[in-house]
Amino acid sequence: MTTRVYWLLVEMVSRLLDQPERDVVRGDLAECGARPGPALREVAGLVIRRQAALWIDWRPWFAVASVVIPIGLLLSHASRWWGITTGVDFANYWVLWDFSYLAYPGYRKDVIRTAVWLGAAWCALVGWSWTSGFVVGRLSRRALWLTISLFALAVFVGTLGTTTVVHRPSNPPLQYHLILVVFPRLARTFLVMLPMVWGALRGSRGPVLPLGPTVCAVLLLAGTSFLVSQGLENSVVFGRGLIPPDPGPDGFVISADDPRPWWPLSLVMMWPAAYVLAVAGRERWRENSAHA
Amino acid sequence: MQLGEFEYLMLTAVARLGEGAYGVAIREEIEAATGRPCSLGALYTTLDRLETKGLITTSMGDPTPQRGGRPKRMVRITPKGEQAAAAFYEAVMRVSRGVAWATR
Repeated sequence: MTTRVYWLLVEMVSRLLDQPERDVVRGDLAECGARPGPALREVAGLVIRRQAALWIDWRPWFAVASVVIPIGLLLSHASRWWGITTGVDFANYWVLWDFSYLAYPGYRKDVIRTAVWLGAAWCALVGWSWTSGFVVGRLSRRALWLTISLFALAVFVGTLGTTTVVHRPSNPPLQYHLILVVFPRLARTFLVMLPMVWGALRGSRGPVLPLGPTVCAVLLLAGTSFLVSQGLENSVVFGRGLIPPDPGPDGFVISADDPRPWWPLSLVMMWPAAYVLAVAGRERWRENSAHA
Repeated sequence: MQLGEFEYLMLTAVARLGEGAYGVAIREEIEAATGRPCSLGALYTTLDRLETKGLITTSMGDPTPQRGGRPKRMVRITPKGEQAAAAFYEAVMRVSRGVAWATR
């Protein structure tokens, strides 16, 4: 049983090698009659050397310093914030929902406003994650899976040791768990990590980006980022226990008239989109040069 | 062309094995000569480095049943590799002339 597990591990670890090298190494191990423990050590040693060699280049380091750490951590806070917000709204509507309420214009307006804001927040998370993944994929190349793992680490543990000081609902324990734990994890998995991996694969080996649709998508993301920028700032300010900004003239914190000392965060989130746009523009220019 | 000690050992093993130089055989040759274990990681990363320097060429051999139907990575030393190994050998011989362990 242990032997089988070891060989399974050998198989899994050796998948990090390129196909021809994997075959050669597995063949060498078979020819030597290697026992599973030493075989695992041998393959792991080669994989570590191969991965380390990829990091001699500056590009994976740049991807980590410019995307994985800053944007991974920001997405960690933003996904928790909007995960909890989604959970709170979902719980409220689930408990209180009654179709007859839709007869009231005020209620309808409230439902539409909530749906639009949550939809915009989800779109922003997906857009930021996809473009971040694209940059990571383009820069990391063969070190891709390690940088994706580091990104996942930043997203899933970036808020450890912190707590949101707002959105602490007074719901029953199960709902409380769903809202504070399950919804943020769902947001991180489906709205952040899946689009990020998709973007990373597209960036590393996808076909040429079409310029027109890319421009439209980046403009859409810029507009959405502008719409949800205050939520992004709040996710960090309240998530890190920082001193919240003074309430604006209305006397309430987290309302539209608060001062915005953290507004540059939206620009940080938009830089991968600018990179995607630049790549699409350069690819179009190369295409035109080749035809001319 | 500058060579490291392990690179020299590998070139020597490849030259000695001739047509039969591939991963397992090179490894056994080095281990027999030095009495030290040689890991697959060290072996294949050094082979890549030597190939990048143009001191060896490699190609895929035919799969064999003994290897579970998987191919060997066959290695050949190039004339440039022979020159580099000879230069390393001469440097070691020159620098060792007259020292206690060389005259033992």
